[in-house]
Amino acid sequence: MKELTLRVSRYDPAEDAGPYFEEYTVRVNEGARVLHALHAVHDNHDPTLTYRYCCGSGQCGSCAVRVDGTPVLACMEEARDGMTVEPLDLPVLKDLMVDMGPVIAKIARICPAPDVEIPTREEIEAIKPLRDCIECLCCVSACPALQVTEFAGPTVFRQEMRLALDPRDSVDRIEDAIEKGLFYCTTCRRCLEVCPKEINVPGKAIEKLREIANRRGLTLPRHQEVATLVQETGRSVARTGMTFLEQVPEVIEPDGPLRGEIGFFVGCMFNGRVPQTALDAMEVMKRNGIRVIIPHDQVCCGSPLIRTGQTSFIDDLRRKNIEAFARRGIKTVMTICAGCGATLKNDYETPFAVKDVTEVLTEYGIEPPAKLDVRATYHDPCHLLRGQGISEEPRIFLREAVREFVEMPSQCCGAGGGVRSGVPEEAKALGMMRGEAVKAADADVVVTICPFCEFHIADCTDVPVKNLVTILLEGYRKKDAEERGSP
Amino acid sequence: MLVDEIVDAHVLVIGSGGAGMRAAIEASRYGSVILASKTIAGKGGCTTMAEGGFNAVLRDQDSVVTHREDTLSGGAYLNDPALVDVLVSEAPDRLRDLVRWGAVFDVTDDREVAQRPFGGQRFPRTCYAGDRTGHEIVMTLLDGLDATDTQIYNEVTVIDLVRDENGAVAGAIALDRDGGVVLFRSDATVLATGGGTQIYDVSTNSAAGTGDGFAMAYRAGAELIDMEMIQFHPTGAVYPYDARGRLVTEAVRGEGGILLNAQQERFMKRYDPERMELSTRDVVARSIATEVLEGRGTRHGGVYLDVTHLPAERIETRLPVMLEQFLAFGVDIRKEPMEVAPTAHHIMGGLRITPECRTTIPGLFACGEVTGGVHGANRLGGNALADTQVFGKRAGEFAGKSPGRKGRIDEAWVEGELRLLDDFFEGVMSPAAVRKDLKLTMWNQAGIFRNSMDLATALTHVRRLSDRRLFAASTANIPECCTVRNMCTTASLIVRCALLRPENRGAHVRRDPETTTWDPEKSPFGHTYISLVREGIEQREVTA
Repeated sequence: MKELTLRVSRYDPAEDAGPYFEEYTVRVNEGARVLHALHAVHDNHDPTLTYRYCCGSGQCGSCAVRVDGTPVLACMEEARDGMTVEPLDLPVLKDLMVDMGPVIAKIARICPAPDVEIPTREEIEAIKPLRDCIECLCCVSACPALQVTEFAGPTVFRQEMRLALDPRDSVDRIEDAIEKGLFYCTTCRRCLEVCPKEINVPGKAIEKLREIANRRGLTLPRHQEVATLVQETGRSVARTGMTFLEQVPEVIEPDGPLRGEIGFFVGCMFNGRVPQTALDAMEVMKRNGIRVIIPHDQVCCGSPLIRTGQTSFIDDLRRKNIEAFARRGIKTVMTICAGCGATLKNDYETPFAVKDVTEVLTEYGIEPPAKLDVRATYHDPCHLLRGQGISEEPRIFLREAVREFVEMPSQCCGAGGGVRSGVPEEAKALGMMRGEAVKAADADVVVTICPFCEFHIADCTDVPVKNLVTILLEGYRKKDAEERGSP
Repeated sequence: MLVDEIVDAHVLVIGSGGAGMRAAIEASRYGSVILASKTIAGKGGCTTMAEGGFNAVLRDQDSVVTHREDTLSGGAYLNDPALVDVLVSEAPDRLRDLVRWGAVFDVTDDREVAQRPFGGQRFPRTCYAGDRTGHEIVMTLLDGLDATDTQIYNEVTVIDLVRDENGAVAGAIALDRDGGVVLFRSDATVLATGGGTQIYDVSTNSAAGTGDGFAMAYRAGAELIDMEMIQFHPTGAVYPYDARGRLVTEAVRGEGGILLNAQQERFMKRYDPERMELSTRDVVARSIATEVLEGRGTRHGGVYLDVTHLPAERIETRLPVMLEQFLAFGVDIRKEPMEVAPTAHHIMGGLRITPECRTTIPGLFACGEVTGGVHGANRLGGNALADTQVFGKRAGEFAGKSPGRKGRIDEAWVEGELRLLDDFFEGVMSPAAVRKDLKLTMWNQAGIFRNSMDLATALTHVRRLSDRRLFAASTANIPECCTVRNMCTTASLIVRCALLRPENRGAHVRRDPETTTWDPEKSPFGHTYISLVREGIEQREVTA
């Protein structure tokens, strides 16, 4: 047995003005789950504590709560000392019990045609990954789109795709899905991160439903414009001035001794819209002894098309990009755009390794920059944090590069998944929430590693937003100036 | 307390597991239906936790005759043969219903529902959806239910059946989440409340598996049979402490998992050399318990269940829930063995029913685990899900065909019942403490190996616990008090029936020296039976 203390959110709408926390110290067995800690409170401290549970083994989806802010199944998550237990982000009936009914009612039911045949093995295998859902609503609680739109919730789209894949179902699921907000998902993958069954709703449901919508001509006009642009120019961003590729040679040699070599995948935003950031990255590489090879025949990675379901010519882009780097014998391709990086890592099968700039710099180690005299915060790009599993590396560099580093809560900025172009009011609303977070962090600069996040957050805050490479380069410039200034 | 709401329906179904939902779907063809669910429908009961599969004869090489023989022999010939006939002959159609309604069962390359071998069966006839078969069935039934006009009452706790002046069941009293009282009035009532092995300290059941149906029906005057027949599933998790008893599906052995004791000996060869790990559950459970009792168990008091010799891909696709659950507790079953020990799983006994699911009281039908007779003295893995669908459909159909109610409900009786609930506010004992005490008593004195002295002690103690004045801290705590009261009643029924059977049969094993073990087919004993008015054991003619 061991003792632990937990804070539990209590709220009886009939009696209380609002939720409040109550602290309990309970004795539980070694290896106890959150649910057992709640049982201990209920059995030994306060029998009126209300919470829902049933199977106790992660199979019924009754007991989801938020532990330290993250939705989990109480019966599977290990209880820890000092934890805070709150209800899911849904209307509270009492204490930890929320009203699940309205969301569950949105989950579509199959309408079998009268003379159905059993699906084939392939069809069954396609449906199965979407069938494990226990409707615990962790995903609904965590989804940022739900906070600002009428988005029906990740699991609702999981079910739409499960039905769309089933030959027995007789209803058109695409129009239903569009009505329920198919284009509102930013593909931030927060739902996948919190799903106890690890169901990839963005990849296996949202993007696939958008693909079917695309084949029916139901893609949003703004998204279609992007596809046309990519098809015509190889780029998802229209040309506004000299591009990055037009400004650099195919090979950039380092200043000092050669320590390594990488290929550089620039991505459309850094090529066409903000080439200066990519140029900054080249300076950082040069300074740290890394040769950069930049194939000029690289094109859009296809991310804006995959996220929006416009995949008809995606194979062509994949082939061009892979050939561009493989032909030059490149072993490692570096990205400074989280979206391109996640796409090359997750949606491509490459004969070379793909690494984010922070992975490359961590591997080689960098010359320490001078500390900038600022208080900086970091915004986790969804495609870096969850798309590539990178969260620590950027923070390590940032702590080294600025006077003071301060965290802010991580959440999608709203720009991804085609939302910034397709549903701008939603993107704006989510962006404003980021703006609030930046304000609360009281930072002088927001640092990130995704041009979409950078652009979007910049629209929603007065604080400058910069790529990490720019911060590093500023640190080097400051260092040089200081060295020049000293005797 | 007073009645806050009165609701009328042609058929009232109590319980939202596989049997209850199937009954409601069927009953809705005949008139209005109310489904009263203690949980959110689809999240409660044990069906959704069922992992392994659903037995149905689907192939030409198999036959319902073999399925019947396997079921009778596995049940130590205590089964009611008429119910077994229904089970095996209708299971294939009930499986096909599910597939027609959209169930995602695993299929073969030839586009047939895939089947795996399960213990005690001579043909691999267990249909499955990975190791989440029950969940698949529940999701499908929810879809099916949604297409009917059934009115679902979620999170209401039925506390007692209501009878009319002629003694027929005419509805039920229930409490909603806030303690509000609902009176359901119906022409026919289907009891589908499932099992109750939560009365044991180590159990696979969901929190809703508290035996309420046995207790309510007993109070209403129904007769129950074979309540001593408790299935201890051979393989439950043993640690961490709070996860003890969690089901480790028989599919693990069906897929080729082997059992080893702490000395790495494949001990089943000493108990059932022919069927080994795929012997019947009663045999495997006793073998494991014996190994542990005789000192050949693991540190945590179990034995090893090993699948590390199987390809990782097979474990990932056929046993994903097992893989996920053990990973959550730090064990990768692809690389290391599981530790398992028996756990209270299923109550084979229950309400005496006819093949039309009629109980011994008019107006009350029953289906699923709350009934007795289908599985005899030991249930075959895969027969419970089949049971829910076959008898769920039948209960719904015959309840649906019932004539309209004629008798009147005695309002004074209802008021009296509700006044009794007020007593809980004056109680002194925490229901949690009584529950804990009861579970330990049942596990220690009415478990896998029994003797008359332990059983008598248990009965005395359970009666003492039944008399405790339970305390409800608020109206919302009353259902918990009612549940604990029901657990005590169910426990006493089990112990009393265990004392009535003077033989070792199937899951019921007594270590009293005078206990006889008959060749099950030749045993002179039939069902034990118990009701408010009589109890005993049936004698039967045995032809030499």
